[in-house]
Amino acid sequence: MKEQPVVFKGTRNGLQIYIAHGSDMPEIMEAAAGKLQSGKPFFEGATVNLTFFGREFLVEEQTRLLELFARYMKPGSVEFRTQPVSVERKDLPERDHYDSFDGIEEGMTRFVRGTVRSGQRVSYEGNVVIIGDVNPGGEVIAGGNILVLGNLRGIAHAGATGNQDAVVASYCLQPTQLRIAGYITRAPEGETAKPPYPEVAYIRQEQLFIEPYLPGKGKQADFHTT
Amino acid sequence: MGEVIVITSGKGGVGKTTTTANIGTALALLGKKVVLIDADIGLRNLDVVMGLENRIVYDLVDAVEGVCRLKQALIRDKRFEGLYLMPAAQTRDKNAISPAQMQKLCEELKEHFDFVLIDSPAGIEQGFKNAIAGADKAVVVTVPEVSAVRDADRIIGLLAANELTEPQLVVNRLRMDMVKRGDMMNIDDTIDILGIDLLGVVPDDENIIVSSNRGEPAVTEENSMAGQAYRNIARRLLGEEVALIDMESGVTFMEKLRKLFSGKNKRKS
Repeated sequence: MKEQPVVFKGTRNGLQIYIAHGSDMPEIMEAAAGKLQSGKPFFEGATVNLTFFGREFLVEEQTRLLELFARYMKPGSVEFRTQPVSVERKDLPERDHYDSFDGIEEGMTRFVRGTVRSGQRVSYEGNVVIIGDVNPGGEVIAGGNILVLGNLRGIAHAGATGNQDAVVASYCLQPTQLRIAGYITRAPEGETAKPPYPEVAYIRQEQLFIEPYLPGKGKQADFHTT
Repeated sequence: MGEVIVITSGKGGVGKTTTTANIGTALALLGKKVVLIDADIGLRNLDVVMGLENRIVYDLVDAVEGVCRLKQALIRDKRFEGLYLMPAAQTRDKNAISPAQMQKLCEELKEHFDFVLIDSPAGIEQGFKNAIAGADKAVVVTVPEVSAVRDADRIIGLLAANELTEPQLVVNRLRMDMVKRGDMMNIDDTIDILGIDLLGVVPDDENIIVSSNRGEPAVTEENSMAGQAYRNIARRLLGEEVALIDMESGVTFMEKLRKLFSGKNKRKS
């Protein structure tokens, strides 16, 4: 089978676009346009860092390609290279790369009193503290940490602007989905047992861990990133 | 000055109309002056459940548009004095009236009645917005199913955004036998998620279907367990403290019966 002329790969750092060696320009433009069109709602309005690698381009070709991408998203940093970017953690001094919230230890915090119900969304660039429950169908999105002083049953996205050090903590951590920075995890199928102790979720070694934050209360359990 | 209560749920088919008909009838039985408004324009049902379908001349939209006087659109119940129905228009849709018009209507009606009960349509769109516009209080109906509870939660959030911050909950169609087997959400789980006050629990009861089809609300039947539950809900709305029905005992009795019958069957075969 012929190699695909254009392959998209989403990374924490933005979009990596692999352009097959030896593919010609009309072919590339057509394939890229098709992929962009199918991902249109996803890209719409987002600022995306673009890294092209694989085939080398003339300056004029680069401009044409970028114009195409700019129709679907706001390009952030743009790079053309011949080798793929390594995804090693070391290579990602993300605080420099991202405009992410860095007030994890100390910083802006929004307090929400009451229950976040289905269909409601709390979103804030700093940390968020919910004094109440987050019900299934409710969403909390924070640039920093998320603390729920109640049951967390909905969706929580901590470090939404890219900070992987963000944590999600709750008196009763039973989220439909848990996201930290670029990691998305969901609760294991079928297990609905209520954790009897407060827990905190964090990212370590590209894995999401959940453990009680009061020492000696229960054993460590881990979710697997999906 | 009366009280306007909207009965709503988000999800369809959980028993809003049945609940409206039964609570309204029970309040009338307790001597209150009650009007039931069917806000489900285009899909009217309340008149059928109340057995008043053939008496409709004017409806809610006629009254709001000034085609008739308010009083002309009110149908007096055939059984109870002090109970009235304002039917929905069937040939129009939810956009035929506005929240402001609904509010005005409720203001007028509550001067003449002790209770104005509004049967809300399913959903969260225009019809729902109309239904809650004039309400002083909300009753959220749900059944012990995950999807219905989700929708109820959404509705409670929307009610709060419209200054109806303390809705009360009616859990409808509870089957104790299934709860016992762990096949149905129990009341505590439901309340734990929704976090609002419980107004009442109505057991699943076949009589409800029979009586709805006949156009006679189940509250009028002394022996119906669901009827009893609705009578209790009405008393709680009047501020009385009424304990929840002990449904467990009902179940054990049913179980006894079932055992008895299954025993008989065995002997026969």
